[in-house]
Amino acid sequence: MKILVKIYLKDLLRNKMLGLMVLLVPVIFYPLIYWGINQFLMVRAGFAESRTVTVDFYPAAGKYNTVEDSLTALKNIIAIRSLPEQSDNDHIYIKIDELDGLPYYTVRLDSSNSAHMQFYPLIEEKLLEYYGTQKNALISQSGYDPGYFSPFTIEPRNTEGDHEVMTKVLSLLIPLMSVISVIASVAAASVEITSGHSEDKTMETSLTVPAGREKIIIAKFITVVIYGMLSGVLNFIFLISFIITLFKTFLDAVASDIAGFDWAQVINLRIMSISFLALLLTSFFVAVIFVTASGFASKRKEGSIFVSPFSALLTYLPLVLVIPAVEPNIFIAAAPVLNISFTLKLLIENNSDWIFISETVLFSVLWIFFVYRFLFPFLLEEEVLLGYSGTSLIKKIKSKWSDGRNNKN
Amino acid sequence: MEETIKIKDLCKEFYDPQRGTVKAVDNISFSAYGGEIFGLLGPNGAGKTTTLRMMATLMQPNSGSIEIAGFDTSEKPEDVRRSIGYMSSNTALYPRLSPREIITYFAELNDYSAQDIPIRVEQIIKYFAIEDYADTYTEKLSTGMKQITSIARTIIHDPPVLILDEPSSGLDVIVSQKIHTYIKDLRSQGKTIIFSSHNMGEVEKICDRIGIINNGRLLATGTIQNLRELTGEFYMEDVFIRIVNESEKKTA
Repeated sequence: MKILVKIYLKDLLRNKMLGLMVLLVPVIFYPLIYWGINQFLMVRAGFAESRTVTVDFYPAAGKYNTVEDSLTALKNIIAIRSLPEQSDNDHIYIKIDELDGLPYYTVRLDSSNSAHMQFYPLIEEKLLEYYGTQKNALISQSGYDPGYFSPFTIEPRNTEGDHEVMTKVLSLLIPLMSVISVIASVAAASVEITSGHSEDKTMETSLTVPAGREKIIIAKFITVVIYGMLSGVLNFIFLISFIITLFKTFLDAVASDIAGFDWAQVINLRIMSISFLALLLTSFFVAVIFVTASGFASKRKEGSIFVSPFSALLTYLPLVLVIPAVEPNIFIAAAPVLNISFTLKLLIENNSDWIFISETVLFSVLWIFFVYRFLFPFLLEEEVLLGYSGTSLIKKIKSKWSDGRNNKN
Repeated sequence: MEETIKIKDLCKEFYDPQRGTVKAVDNISFSAYGGEIFGLLGPNGAGKTTTLRMMATLMQPNSGSIEIAGFDTSEKPEDVRRSIGYMSSNTALYPRLSPREIITYFAELNDYSAQDIPIRVEQIIKYFAIEDYADTYTEKLSTGMKQITSIARTIIHDPPVLILDEPSSGLDVIVSQKIHTYIKDLRSQGKTIIFSSHNMGEVEKICDRIGIINNGRLLATGTIQNLRELTGEFYMEDVFIRIVNESEKKTA
């Protein structure tokens, strides 16, 4: 089997067109992904007019309770007086202390929450207005010189941390891009190694060596997994270098973010191991699906048609669901590949949702069992292996079904 | 001579959506011996390739048996594969591997003694005179070069039986001639060679015995002399047409 893998892999790795395609497909996907995220966020959050945001405020100085009136004057804002420990992360939180006889605001918001970002400028305006009112009252009461007061600004604190962009890019976007790269390369390699080999008749050559059919199919499968992994790892490295270079060169704000960034947060054994394992598992699952799907085609063109719907599904599901951080649920756990992407995301974020992870493992095992028990046997049949007589999966299942019924009768 | 191939009552059916069940091979029986070239002669779609594919264990017969080098293809397919060299009608070479790589890998795949592989590979490269292009990717080679590489791959593990499906199809006269010379040389080494073709002249030139096949049925077997005597015709083309016509008359 080792020699078969060596032959298949060498032939695949030397295929320049395939390599180019594997590199180009994710590049084409990146802009689509950006568009996909925006579309999803819009749908998820609803249109601006129907949005509401809750503001938790806490007058720590025991004064300035009237800020509530200013905030509730804003349309679609619900202001609730609450203690810091009671505040929800989905809400904007404002703590009002007192400094030099005037209100001093500490604001915490989530920059990844589009509602927070949409409403914050309005809230900020109201808070400054309220500060101005308080300042004028103080001036008139105490007779201070207005020139004594310097302009006041509010610096909101982001719940995502100080290096939000870098953390997000490195811990979420890049692994997801690598997963998409694995999907694209495994799909292309599967078509080449199954329907391509049927078309070139090299399949016949493989089948006449002293090795069982299972070994030959498994060798193809291993080759595709290795190819997918190589592509995923290369893409991972490429993306990291590309994004860092791009940010450093064109985005000053991010350049400063990189400067103070603690690389050990993301480049450490734990995260690298999780990423590698996730890429391996993704490659494995996608290979199971694609080798099976394209195995039924006798020509590359047909093979590509067979794998296309799976590629679209596997690529867009993680794209639409994983990036905007939908809560883990059983449907995600049941979807092959998507569940791995999602688990990867949770683990990288230190969110060990063991119920979701267990569900993912269970469904993954069920998927493998299903493919191995019900689809793999078809791949070993001579019509499928040699790619003749217009074999299709449906036709094969029908004939198996009728054989089974005849045998019972 | 040792009987290395024994085929008995071989049948193979396919299901075709338009035509229903089609008998591609219908009750074929024949034997072949060491040091012999046995030619399967028939038009396209006669059942030659299906017969050869069953012999090479690529397909399972619906009924009947095939024994090669003492092994039954249904019971011991891996032993059969170890004893044969199969070359399909297409050159079937990995396009981005060189002839040297392909030959070496197939020696390994066929369990050829690891320490002898380098010597054997060099020997084969020299024998087939492929030194000049031994390290070029096969996708860059001419059809003739690919076909010669394909034969080299087929015999690298020195099997006693060679199954060659139209090995000179689509080749020019010079390369065909070369391939015929190699095949005859392999016969002199004691190998059993099953050779399929629809080219009458070619079969007449190199085969010791011929089996005429049409519509999946083996209509006649024998030496060229036997077949000439049987039909009263001299030219192979006339022999073939006479046998096919008489068979169709009987069926009607």
